[in-house]
Amino acid sequence: MYPVAMSGELGADGVAALLAEAKLAAAFDDPAERVRLRKAAGLSLEQVAKAVGVGRQTVANWEAGGMPSSPSRGKYLRLLEGLAQIHPAPAPAQEPHTAVQPQPAPGAPQVQAAQAPAAESPVAREARAGHARHQNRRRTTSTEQVHAELREKIAAAVDQELTRAGGDADAAAGALVKQAIPDVMALFARTRAQARYEHTAYPALPDILRKPSKSDPDLIWEARPSWRHPGFRRHPDGEVGVTALDVNAAYLSALKTWLPIGKLTHTVGGEHDRKRAGVHLITPPVWEHADLPSPLGDREEAGPVWVTEPTLRLLLRLAGPKHRLVEAPVIHESWTSNATETFLDSLRQVLAAARADALAAGDEVTNTYVKAMYSKFVSTLGESSHNRDIARPDWMHLIRSQAFANLWGRAHKAHQAGLGVMCALGTDELHLAGDWRQTWAEGRGLAEMKVKTDRDGQPVTYTVTAVGGGR
Amino acid sequence: MAGRWMNLGHYNAHGIPGADALGAGIERMVTGITSPADTERGIAARLRYLTASAAGYAAIERAGINVTPRTLFAWLAEERLPNKANQQRLDAAYWDLRRHNVAADLKRRLTTRGGTRIEIDPVDQTRVDPRHRRDLQTRRLTVRPRHWDVAVDAWLTDDAETLDAVWDEVIHDLGSEYDSFAYVSSIGWNA
Repeated sequence: MYPVAMSGELGADGVAALLAEAKLAAAFDDPAERVRLRKAAGLSLEQVAKAVGVGRQTVANWEAGGMPSSPSRGKYLRLLEGLAQIHPAPAPAQEPHTAVQPQPAPGAPQVQAAQAPAAESPVAREARAGHARHQNRRRTTSTEQVHAELREKIAAAVDQELTRAGGDADAAAGALVKQAIPDVMALFARTRAQARYEHTAYPALPDILRKPSKSDPDLIWEARPSWRHPGFRRHPDGEVGVTALDVNAAYLSALKTWLPIGKLTHTVGGEHDRKRAGVHLITPPVWEHADLPSPLGDREEAGPVWVTEPTLRLLLRLAGPKHRLVEAPVIHESWTSNATETFLDSLRQVLAAARADALAAGDEVTNTYVKAMYSKFVSTLGESSHNRDIARPDWMHLIRSQAFANLWGRAHKAHQAGLGVMCALGTDELHLAGDWRQTWAEGRGLAEMKVKTDRDGQPVTYTVTAVGGGR
Repeated sequence: MAGRWMNLGHYNAHGIPGADALGAGIERMVTGITSPADTERGIAARLRYLTASAAGYAAIERAGINVTPRTLFAWLAEERLPNKANQQRLDAAYWDLRRHNVAADLKRRLTTRGGTRIEIDPVDQTRVDPRHRRDLQTRRLTVRPRHWDVAVDAWLTDDAETLDAVWDEVIHDLGSEYDSFAYVSSIGWNA
């Protein structure tokens, strides 16, 4: 009953309502007039939007010109009608117009005056269009736009090299690897355009970050693991089966880490400041867990050491109430700067997306190119003669340590899942005993694990046996 | 040297003269033999470089190596090794010649593309009492080819005064507070 009555009503009054709305729409055809009315009443866009029941941007669009028919438009027009009664349009502004041009024949300015409010002169219209274009160009680009642009850039570089090599994938990949450093620096610069923080590319370095000579390392301990479980040894008839696994693109994931933005400054002692990052002189705690590698890597010395932010944060986390695995490290000195974790995140996301697409499409050329870009980015961030765009050895150390800390995290996760951790090596190698597929999916994605293969392409598995009374 | 800093370090600011940083930056661009000067390989490489041209023999002489041709031939044939003092002189002669030879290339690298943009890190004021601190930011500016040409020549001849004059001219482009960049903590560029 009710719907029928409604439709009957609409049938009779609908036409009238539509006509009334069309009339109002015609009356408030000039966008400038809509703005004037709202401002005359002292209303904000939000207030109008709320009253009409649309978003702020919709009202802004209506005031900028377009006003497509919609259920809310009638409400908006009725509001304008009411406002127009309170604030009637001022007498058209021809007074100054006629005042400055009294010379022409008396009939001419009156005709002009009558038409002026309705029609914009061609020159004025051109100026308005130019202004709109200018505003459009000035509008900042969103992250999505930048990402899409950079993905296209990567694809274009691959296409260009493939065309140049006549479809020879190996030759194209070789050429792409050669141009990887300038290319990734260009991507990095693009992701930093309009960014909130401007980084220092050539800061003055503290002595601990200076290499005594080209081939000698500086004083920073990156906590690279090289650990085998002391309680087991490899044996052909061992009772425990072990699979060697690789973390995929470890350095790419490690780009997400707390990085110091500016020049490092020195502080002595005290608490760890979560909003800063850098390198710290600590006395590390003793590691007493035989089933897990030390978070400090294969360090043979005891005593104080300069460690990086990721290592310190890992130690502090392990000392925290959730784990209680170690004593908290003692911090003696720090070289730090204000930090952000998202500094390289845009770059990481672009490269990770390009990598995922390349893997899904089986495109080994793009995959090789992306791998060369992120790995060379990390290895030449310091003082490298191959990359003079930036000299931040501190970032290089921090990103590497983050990769090692991530590997330690995976070892810990395996241990908590009941798997035996037999070996943690280098940046990305983890040897596990037990059914690791319960914990990680197998594949080449960033969150997955891949079985290591030997030279013949065979998966690396072996057996171990417990040593003496160990375990 | 531009000089509102009058007496750098009086309030515990730390920095080096901009001209020194500029010279060090140019020095960093020079590459050459990486084998140490006291290894057979390093000595052989230096001798080979120095005996390949008349300029090389001149460099040997300038470095104060006074040996008979017989000794030089013995070195080249690797029958004998130079003594410690002569090893150091050979190293000095090698880098002297190397700098002269790469200077033209350095100028080309620095002046193509209309000059090179440098980043200037201001003096370290972390230990300065806040009320005496100046508000200094990291600044970037493009050093023009005419400045690079003079700077590389001055660096080559160890002419500190000219290098200083170049730096003064360069920082004039920084605007009203150019004076504060007479001393810096570091500068860097990509060329």
